[in-house]
Amino acid sequence: MAIAVFFVAAALAVLGGIGVVTFRQPIRSVLSLVLVMLALSVLFLLLSAQFVFAVQIIVYAGAVMVLFLFVIALLGPARELARGRLRFQTWLSALFVLVLLGLMWSLFQGAQYRQPDKADMSFFGTVQSIAVGLFTTYLYPFELTSILLLVAAIGAIYLSRKQIDDL
Amino acid sequence: MSTLVIGGSHLDTSWFLLLSAILFGLGAVGVLVRRNPLVILISIELMLNAANLALVTFSRQLQNLDGQLFALMSMTVAAAEAVVGLAILVDIFRVRDVEDVDDLSELRG
Repeated sequence: MAIAVFFVAAALAVLGGIGVVTFRQPIRSVLSLVLVMLALSVLFLLLSAQFVFAVQIIVYAGAVMVLFLFVIALLGPARELARGRLRFQTWLSALFVLVLLGLMWSLFQGAQYRQPDKADMSFFGTVQSIAVGLFTTYLYPFELTSILLLVAAIGAIYLSRKQIDDL
Repeated sequence: MSTLVIGGSHLDTSWFLLLSAILFGLGAVGVLVRRNPLVILISIELMLNAANLALVTFSRQLQNLDGQLFALMSMTVAAAEAVVGLAILVDIFRVRDVEDVDDLSELRG
């Protein structure tokens, strides 16, 4: 059962990823990315990461993707020209990525994992266990992310303010 | 080789990692090939998602929650990156239409 779920979700994710790269209109790329994120959230659930699953759907597929859709709606449908200044760029990048994939695949093949920590799997990935990690071991990084979000919000407001001409 | 026992069936860890690598590669192709700056941002999001999948997979393999916490942190960073990137994009598009990021290679407006 889990194997079937994995392969369906993986196929959807790969199809969505291909869609992101190949669709000419940005809005279709965004919708393909939503498909990828939903498929990945199913995989997170398979990997017993319930909280990450919820955050993936609410924050990523919800908030971030709606932001992208808003920007596309704001800028209008910009079609992409097929011409390129660097003619070999497509083939070079395909070659580069194939080499990268081969390298990663060879790394995975020889991977030796240390002994698992024997965590309590009934408790693994729940909100409680995540919160214990966030508020004890990783308290400082967690507080720093709030500063990061504040900086991002201020930066976005500053960048998108009305330009005052001839001041 | 190591297997994960999920709901009674055995799944290989490297399947998840291979899927993550494929998605990362697709995102890299998008960044390198596409010319629309918006699509490049979308491809970066795809790469970040692929990295998240690898983090959560390692977390499950080692039965250690740190990987999931890292994934949450990287989601925060991705959200901040998307916000700032889109704000810059809107600012640029206000001055002129950009259909090719190569048009932005000059520093003067």
